[in-house]
This record gives sequence, structure tokens and C-alpha cells, in this order.
Amino acid sequence: MVKELQKKVRELFEDKKVDMVVGWGKGSVPMSATPLFIKSIDEVDDLIFDETCQNNLAVYFTKDKRKLSKDGKKVGVIVKGCDDRSLVLYSIEKQIKRDDIVIIGVPCDGVIDKNKILRKTNNREVIEYNCDEKKVKVKGRDFELTLDKKDVLSDSCLTCSYPDAQVYDEFIGKARKKVDCKDEFKKVDDFEKLSLDERWNAITEEYSKCIRCYACRNVCPSCYCTKCFVDTNKPQWIGKSPEITDSIIFHLIRNLHVAGRCVECGACARACPVGIDLLLLNKKITKEINQRFDYTAGLDIDEKPVMTTYCENEKQDFIMG
Amino acid sequence: MKNTYIPVPMKVENIITEDPNKTLRTYDLSFINSEDRKNFKYMPGQFCEFSILGKGESPFGIASSPTEKDFLRFTVNNTGLVTNEIHYLRKGDNVGIRGPLGNWYPVEKFKGENIVIIGGGFAFTTLRSLLIYLLEHRKDYGEITVIYGARNPDLFIYKDEIAEWEKRDDLNLHLTIDKKADGWDKLVGFVPAVVKELAPKAEKTWCVVCGPPIMIKFTLPVLVQLKFPNDRIYTSLERKMKCGIGKCGRCNIGSKYICIDGPVFSMEDINNISEEI
Amino acid sequence: MIIKINKNKFDKFFKILKGNYDVFAPIGDGMNSKFSRVKSIKEINLDISNTDKSPKEIFFPQTEILFNFESQKINLNAEKNKSFAVWGMRPCDAKSLTLIDKIFGSAKQKPNDENFEDPYWKSKYDDALIFSIGCNTPASTCFCNWFESGPFEKIGSDIFVVNTDEYYLMEAVSEKGKVFLKKVTDFEKGIKKDEEKITELKKRAESYLKKSVDLKALDNVIEEIWGNPVWDELSNKCINCGACTFICPTCHCFDIQDEGKEKAGKRIRLWDSCMFPDFTGEASGHNPRLLSKDRFRQRFMHKFKYFPDNNDDYLCTGCGRCIYVCPVNVDIREVVEKIVKCES
Repeated sequence: MVKELQKKVRELFEDKKVDMVVGWGKGSVPMSATPLFIKSIDEVDDLIFDETCQNNLAVYFTKDKRKLSKDGKKVGVIVKGCDDRSLVLYSIEKQIKRDDIVIIGVPCDGVIDKNKILRKTNNREVIEYNCDEKKVKVKGRDFELTLDKKDVLSDSCLTCSYPDAQVYDEFIGKARKKVDCKDEFKKVDDFEKLSLDERWNAITEEYSKCIRCYACRNVCPSCYCTKCFVDTNKPQWIGKSPEITDSIIFHLIRNLHVAGRCVECGACARACPVGIDLLLLNKKITKEINQRFDYTAGLDIDEKPVMTTYCENEKQDFIMG
Repeated sequence: MKNTYIPVPMKVENIITEDPNKTLRTYDLSFINSEDRKNFKYMPGQFCEFSILGKGESPFGIASSPTEKDFLRFTVNNTGLVTNEIHYLRKGDNVGIRGPLGNWYPVEKFKGENIVIIGGGFAFTTLRSLLIYLLEHRKDYGEITVIYGARNPDLFIYKDEIAEWEKRDDLNLHLTIDKKADGWDKLVGFVPAVVKELAPKAEKTWCVVCGPPIMIKFTLPVLVQLKFPNDRIYTSLERKMKCGIGKCGRCNIGSKYICIDGPVFSMEDINNISEEI
Repeated sequence: MIIKINKNKFDKFFKILKGNYDVFAPIGDGMNSKFSRVKSIKEINLDISNTDKSPKEIFFPQTEILFNFESQKINLNAEKNKSFAVWGMRPCDAKSLTLIDKIFGSAKQKPNDENFEDPYWKSKYDDALIFSIGCNTPASTCFCNWFESGPFEKIGSDIFVVNTDEYYLMEAVSEKGKVFLKKVTDFEKGIKKDEEKITELKKRAESYLKKSVDLKALDNVIEEIWGNPVWDELSNKCINCGACTFICPTCHCFDIQDEGKEKAGKRIRLWDSCMFPDFTGEASGHNPRLLSKDRFRQRFMHKFKYFPDNNDDYLCTGCGRCIYVCPVNVDIREVVEKIVKCES
């Protein structure tokens, strides 16, 4: 598959359809890949795609990185299903012009969450890592473990219905439409069953770990405000220190701000250096939007953003009580 | 151990609004404790952290001269959270300062020689301090030339004092504005152009430049053109600051920290900095 | 002289330590390991090679109150804490504290040679008793050997500990360490065999490390590197979160903020990061480090040029935390290697 991908990218360069391609290369440590910016045909050999390619590369088309795709240059980008949804979202929100980018889809069977692997190894360092369809083999200085791949996949992948791009210019292989995903909202349903106190305690415990490094926000493709509300000081909306109340406000407002825009790529959770379960509340909101408005973010390039659209027949029970 | 993070209590003695838009105000502060006053020894060019409890701190160059014993003066442009709060102050209010911080204009080196002071807009604060200091020790120095520019006549600060300085015959004062304005009978033109025309000879002369970054950027090459040696051109640089004592890590330009290596730098120092100013 | 403490008698030693000090040690497993106050040895996890969060937070917490105020009255916390002892610090982390100490602690500051000591840091760090523990199995991300240092480095340590199967072998490094070990009677003394064991473990640990990059070459190139286009290439993938700076044991930049109202509140200082636009963004809107590249460059230039210019040492100890925490795999070793390769 990687060979095919490289061939395709090479062709795009040869046909002068792209000036640059954003993809993934091998990371410097086991179980990691790293974003790669390919500017010429002889760098194409560095391209990889596998279950370690966990970054959502759409993020390089907004924020500070907008400059990467400027100057009338055609930029190709290699996408998993979730990354593609981010690009669709950007197109809907007028952050990119669809025609300026060449979307190259790759078939995705889920990406690993290396924190899950480290939990299995008791945080002992993994020096060698191998993965096939079903199993992940890891080796350290004094241990060897074989793990079921599904046990170390990112939570976001376990509940993913759109593993492949739906909007693309090129696809390596055959893109799947929606796949059946049982129990997509199981974790949310379980959470909802808890009492108010239990839910609050769970949230408090989770977010008390936050060190406010903003890795979650910065890797999130849907979070691209020029000035984030946490960074303003006139007025200063929230305190900057990792006090639990301020941290919760930061995360809850972020949840609401990406409501109807979250593509559930899980980049936030995988980026968190202290392992906060950042997906749960996003998933809760996704569920609400799904059920109330029959909307899933980033699928249809011609659809209007759900939170800025009003239909008369919408359920309004949340207002009316 | 001295705790440099604790501000010294001060009282607002006087407030002057400098411009019709009321964005520039000058504050004269007095020490509440005589002990603090005794310990506060400073030189022209140094700065303080102005503290408002509950809002924070902001750094300002000291506009008064050490020869003025009764007050400390700061001129504050209303741009941010703290400066906005300072603009709400009234006479008699309590505030705090930390300082004096940073280095100063090398007035000892200037002795016996000529000095040209070049300033722009509301950055004239520490230049006022310097000028008052020099005038107070007038016989120690040679010819003193001041070139002071502003966008329009309203934006000069210390207008009353300027009127006084204009009357002096031991001071060459040139005022200039960017574009012609009604009732303005002095120079019109940007500071670099005026410097090119009116700056005194480079021999035995020291230059001090302070103003908005764009003015500094275009004035320095003119001075070099006029054959002022790099080690005789001084300027005062600005960056966002927090601690003022070389610890919080944000005000560096290359290896130099504005708060402890500056804010006053010679052209020579600046040329040795790897980062662009 | 080596003091030899059998691991099944460690509880006894720990009691002596706890009698004299407030003890910090690595805790946690899996995610979110850190140094924390411990009450019993059961909480301690020495198997963690490097805690996720660095021990700098013991002496320089993420948020610290500078003072409280009420109306115009400033109140300092006058309570004197019990001195801190830190058990089980890795040599790289112990060294990193000595680097921060160059800024917060004893540094002579310009101008006028005035000594702006940081009382909050000094009141904690100066009296602390640091037990650093030889690093038997450095990780593949470790590169302490780049900095004329190694897994058994003693800089910054008061008592150096070697962890063998059966024993903790302890040796006083500083005066403070000697004074403390004198209090510890009743334990075995080390013999020649123990010294041999230490040499053996040290040798094995060093063999795990990869070859060091030539930092002399870096020093030559870095003089002229500021305007080099290499920074565009290096910084492309950085997304400017602050994860690397917050888990770094040497990053020490901070912000000062007021919380509360004028009537009553507190002035705090909190960790800040050169990765954030607001670090240098001015109220006027001007920002000298506006671009992602500018901020990325600052982090590396600070560590490998600016800090060395002023303090004669690199601001990095090779702990490797930033390598595995970075969401986009910016590897500090690769950054340095690529800079070295730039023609000066």
C-alpha cells in the first residue's frame, strides 16, 4: 500500500499537480510517525502510512501554519477518514478553497494510542515495535509482549464510522463508505447513567490532571481561532493557572466551541501528555448533535454548519424544558 | 534576603493629561515610606514595574530625573490591561513600584562632550529624564541638541516644559511633525530626515535615540551615515517584560535581556546580537 | 565512604529521613508519574525511568503565590517549611536544577552586580537534600552523554545512590549530604566489592547510550544560524503547544498574574512557555515572535546559544522527555543534528 501511495504522489509531482505534499514519515522513536512536508520528488521515498500515523494533518492548513499552503501553491495532503472530515469542515467554514488542495485518501484501519501500549508495559520503554493485522508485538530491554491490536487502538478509532475519506481527489485502493460501528456511544451512554455527583466527580478527577499546555487545542484541527479565549487578557475570561475550576472551564468551553465541528479524530486525547480522557465529552456532544439534528460533521461539503443553521422543525425541548 | 517581587507603596500626587484623546497621561508619584525613598537611587534611562494590586504590573521608563527629589514620574499610554487601570487612577490613590531596574544612559562618559538627543512620540520619557539631568549639570557637558518628532502637534508630551526649553539659549531644540498642520510654524518631516539635516558634527558627540521601533530602525543608519561611531550611539529597547530582574525569560533579544543587560544599548551592542531587534 | 542499605531495611532509613525532612519521591505508574510528597515507602515507584513530569515543580511549582494582598496591604507567607528531601531523582534532573539555580539562585546579575536572588526558589532549593540515583537502564531517548555528563553524573546531588538488586549504596557528594549520612548509623559500610559493582553498573548503563553529537561543532555553527532558512524546515511540523516546555526539567520561564480583586487577592507566578504567542505579544498588538518559526527558534536558541552565552552551560540535560511527549515528534536531537549539518 505504501508503495502505491508513493507511486501516486510521485505521479502528482511529475504531472505538476502538486508543489508540496503533506504526509507522514517514520518517527524518531518506536511507535511514532511524524508529519512530513514533501517538496520534491526525491523526498517521496520517506513517505509512510501505517497505524502509527496518528496526527491529523489538516491542522497544517489553519492557524500559524496557514503559510504552508499559501502563494497559489497546490498542496497535496494524505488523509485518513477523520483528517478528510477536517478538510471538508475547513471548506465549509471557508478556511481553504477545495480546489487549492489535492486530497489523497488512504485506507485506515485505525491508529494506535501509544499511551495504551505504555500502560500495558507498565510504562517500561518500548525499544522494538511490530504490528500486523491483528497483533502488536513490543519489546523492551527485559520484556516482550504480544498485544491484541484492538486493545491498543486509539479510542476514537474504536467508534469510527468513516475510516476512509468521503471527499477526495485520489484514493489508494477502494474507499469504504460508512462502516457499521456497534456501540458507538456506549461510553457516553454509560456515563449518562451515572448520578450527577458521580459525573461531576469523574470530570473533576480527569481534568485535575491538566497542566494547561494546550497540546489538545493546538493539535485540534477544529480549534483555529486567531486568538483563543484563554489567551485574551482584556477581558481575561479565565485564570491561566491549572486550578481545577479554570481547567474545567477551558475544556468545557472547548467542547462547546467544537460542537458540531468535532470530527472525532482523537488527536487531542493522543496528544495529552498527562493522559486525560478528552474524548468522552466531545463524544457526548457528537451524540446530541447526531440525534437532534441528524448531522455528522465533515461529511458533506455542501452542507451548512449545523450550529449556525436553523430549521423550523428542529426539536426545541432543550429550550422549552 | 531582599524580595525583589514586592512593590514599594507609592501615592499618586499629580496627574497630567498629555493629549486631547486622553490616551497619554503623566503620573507623579511620591514614596509613602521615607525609608523607601532613601533607598531608591536611580539614573536616567532606568525603568520601574508599575504595580496595581489586583490587576498586575507593567514596565515604564522613569521620566523624572534623579535631580528631581520630590517625585517619580511616569508617562503611560493606555493600551493594555494594566495601563488601562492606571488611567483610572486619581490623585491620592495608592499604587506600587518595583525598581529602579535596568541600566542607564552613560552620562559619565558624556562629560565634556556634545550630546544629541533624538526622540519620537511618547517615547520621550527617559529622554526627558536625561535632558533634565544634563541641564541640571549643564556646565559638565558641551553642546546639547534635541530633535523631537511627533505625528502631529498634539502628540508631543511635556508641552509646558518644551515651551520652557525653547526659551533657553544653551539648548538647540528642533521640533518636527510628520505632516503639515494648521498653526504649526516649526519643522515638518520625519525624524530621520531632520536628523540628516540638523544633527551636529559627529566629532566629540554622543547620540541617544529613543522612539517607536520604526523611527529607530530608520534613524540608526542615518547616524552611521553621518559618521557617528557605533559605540557613541545609544538607544533604549523595549520588549514585553514581567519580572524585570532577568528571570522570567521573555524579554531577551538574542542572548541579551532587556531588563538586566538593557534597556540602554549601544549600536555596537546591538550589532553583536544575533536576533533581529 | 559508602553506606550500604539493604532494601528490606529501607523502611528504617526512610523513617530517619522523614524525621528530618519533608520527603518527595517518584510516584505513579503508567501515565502521569511525578515527584510528590510521600508518607510511606509503599507509594514510591523507583522503576519509572524518568517521571512524566519533571521534579522542577518541587522547587518551582507551576503556580506559586508571590504574596497575598488585602486592600493595599501585602502579606507574605512567613511560614518556614520543613526542608525538602528528594529521594530517587535521576542524575539528569538533579543537574537540571543546578542550571535553573544559575538564574534563580546565586547568579550575579547585571547591572551594578546587583544580586537579584529569587527568594521563593532559594528558600526551597538551598536547604534541600537531593538523593540522585544512578540510572541503570537509560532509555533510547536519553542523551545525557551529549553534555559531558552521564547516567551516573553526580552534579546537583547531595547523596548519590546506586540501586543494586539487594542494596542501596549511598555516597555523600556535598557537605549537606555528609552531615546527613553521619546521622545514619546502624547500617553496613560498603566494601571493595560494592565499588566494583558500581563501576560495573555504570559501565553497562553508559553502553546503552548512543554516540554523542559533536556539540563543539554546534557552537561553531550556532553563532550564525539565526537567520538561516533551516528554521523554516525544522519548525514546519511544530504546532506550538507548550507540552515540551512544561515537562522540561530546565525550562523555567514564567508569567506573573494577579488573581482576585483589588480588595483582596494574590499575585502569583506561573509557568509560561516561549511556544505561546502571548509570551512576547505586546498590548499594542506588536509581537516580535509572531510566527511559529520565531517561537520554535527561541526555544532551541535559548537552550543552545543564549543560555550558554550567559551561563557557560547548555540549558538541556538530555532527559529526553520532550522527545516522547511531543505530539508531532519534534526530536530535539534531530534539531541539533540538522543545525550542526548547516554550513556556517
